[in-house]
Amino acid sequence: MSDLDRYIQLLRSCKPIPEASVRELCYKARELLIEESNVQLVDAPVTICGDIHGQFHDLMELFKVGGDVPDTNYLFMGDFVDRGFYSLESFLLLLSLKVRYPDRITLIRGNHESRQITTVYGFYDECMRKYGSANVWRYCCEVFDYLALGALVIGAGPSIGGDDHAELEVIQTTGEAMRYRRAENGGFVTVTDRSSNNTITSKPRNPDDNDDGDDDEDTDDTTPLRVLNSGHPTGTSAASTFSPPSHPQSSAILCVHGGLSPVIGSVDAIRLLDRKQEVPHEGAMCDLLWSDPDEIDGWGLSPRGAGFLFGADIVKTFNHANNLSLIARAHQLVMEGFKEMFDSSIVTVWSAPNYCYRCGNVAAILEVSEEGGGVVRSSGERGGGVVGGVGGGGWEVKMGPGRRYRVFEAAPQDSRGMPAKKPQADYFL
Amino acid sequence: MTTFIAPSTVRNAGKTLTHKSWCISTSKLPISNSGEIDAMTSALSLTPPEMIFGHNSISLHHLPSGFRILFNSFDALDLVDKTGETGLLKVSYSEQWQRMRDKVAELKDVKDSVKAFDWTYSTTYRGTVILSPAAAELVEKHGYRHVVAEGLDASGDGFTVDEKAEIPFDKLRRPDPILLFDEVMLYEDELADNGIAMLSVKVRVMEERLLVLMRFFLRLDDVVVRIRDTRVYVEFATGEVVREYVAREAKYADVKKGFAMYPADEIPALMRDPQNLVERLPVVETIREKIVKS
Repeated sequence: MSDLDRYIQLLRSCKPIPEASVRELCYKARELLIEESNVQLVDAPVTICGDIHGQFHDLMELFKVGGDVPDTNYLFMGDFVDRGFYSLESFLLLLSLKVRYPDRITLIRGNHESRQITTVYGFYDECMRKYGSANVWRYCCEVFDYLALGALVIGAGPSIGGDDHAELEVIQTTGEAMRYRRAENGGFVTVTDRSSNNTITSKPRNPDDNDDGDDDEDTDDTTPLRVLNSGHPTGTSAASTFSPPSHPQSSAILCVHGGLSPVIGSVDAIRLLDRKQEVPHEGAMCDLLWSDPDEIDGWGLSPRGAGFLFGADIVKTFNHANNLSLIARAHQLVMEGFKEMFDSSIVTVWSAPNYCYRCGNVAAILEVSEEGGGVVRSSGERGGGVVGGVGGGGWEVKMGPGRRYRVFEAAPQDSRGMPAKKPQADYFL
Repeated sequence: MTTFIAPSTVRNAGKTLTHKSWCISTSKLPISNSGEIDAMTSALSLTPPEMIFGHNSISLHHLPSGFRILFNSFDALDLVDKTGETGLLKVSYSEQWQRMRDKVAELKDVKDSVKAFDWTYSTTYRGTVILSPAAAELVEKHGYRHVVAEGLDASGDGFTVDEKAEIPFDKLRRPDPILLFDEVMLYEDELADNGIAMLSVKVRVMEERLLVLMRFFLRLDDVVVRIRDTRVYVEFATGEVVREYVAREAKYADVKKGFAMYPADEIPALMRDPQNLVERLPVVETIREKIVKS
């Protein structure tokens, strides 16, 4: 067994590795990351994950739900460290997997992968506590400077497979699966409702035993999907604001930790940045890691006096200009684990369940299928096409990317190797 | 609305105790979901904190009279400045941002603070008081702030300001057995990693008395530290209810100076714990009030 495999084994059991090994691992990781572009190209299928924040046992839960590396291709959108108790083990495990399987895991930088932020929010203190010196923290920070700023997922198919042409599926912690398809107004309608243990390349159902695939029945169900389409319940969303891109089949997904920047008009502009530095307090690189979508028009300055907010028009224009079907980002806590906004042009993915061990939220990962890989093949009638002319009016509806959200809960308390945190009766005054 | 939370995962971890004509109850549930947050955003006209425990509360209910004092996040947020009229705090490096915006041509269209509100969620909330079952109906119908402000419930909040109303801390220092203890989060925001804003409540009930402490804690890095404590004390034998509000505040740099004798790398941890800070912050406002419920 190689040293690297031994580190991985140790880290998987949540044990820190010796300081000298961290140094070696970080050195190797830097050599690898320096070759990566600011915007890494990643082929679908891929599983996209949001913030982890040192919640090691929940990261193990994530791998249980999403599959292990290297069987599953992963993309983590940053914020590996701070807040949780095991930032060190979480980050080093992801990093050692990166070095071991460079083509099966992509790590991009979050705003917490910074010297300044980790000094305040826990990672620095954790390194000091576990190693008695700041060396390990310093090695890790040097790696942070080399992490990519974003990723572009290419080759995603328009549906998740199955003969119902569902674009989207949500699998709850109970195993219950809901499938959705775009309605003509850009909102979503449920396609079918069934239990599922499907993987992304699941075999499509046989149309003969399909008892609920009737089109009329499907489109009659206009359940507003609030989490997916905030503020625009199906039926009221204006079709005029919904503009399908011209190349729906080849569009890509941009993954960044925070969001867009007013000084970045194209994905190519991100490629030109000099990323190998501490996250600056301002400018394009800072915005990509910090900004948030909001229900506003255009760009706005946060009331905090720093940080940008961007509205639906900004996302739609950017996606159209860059031939993107979706922006996937992390950075903001969502109770449901994910939240699609602005007619599903952007999604927030959150992968830290019961955040800070007290929020009680669930987490999610986003699985993106590969083009043709998830659609009907057995019947041979369609190879990843677009549903056109629904309702006979010739109205073209954009599909995709085909995506599946797997929702998961925090790891059970007894797997954490620490006592449940119960409020201790205290004689406070 | 499609709900994405499996019902089995949602259970209230709150507690209830009926003791000497008072019912003390706590409610503890996960943070609010997206639909609830949307509803709250429009009802409050502000963006709620990122961790909003909309279902959490601590309630003290005097059963014979129907008098109730409760602590919840909605009413607390309703008392946050929603327009910016009191002058809003900015993060430490906001001037640097302002200068950059003036320099960079692409930023000329960026709107200034689209929704101005107190993003530090500093509240002057001292609990929601419901004087009678009739008042409860009014609150249900019109909202708490409106009922109090409009005098719909003629006696208002019911408490009388009384400078001499003091909480008997000597009695509270006795190690009397605690019949019920709980701590409940109402909201928390990381201020985009510029510090923390947090509102939490705890309660302890002993044989003869009870104490509630609701604490708002704000640490805005390199700018300010604020602690606003509301204590409610009930002496069961006399029916005396004392409410004390103490607001403390100091500049961040001044508080940090107070830790000068500590090693530099221990200071961030010291600055994180409100218990370390409370005695170091000068009092800026005190309100003492009383009401008797027998």
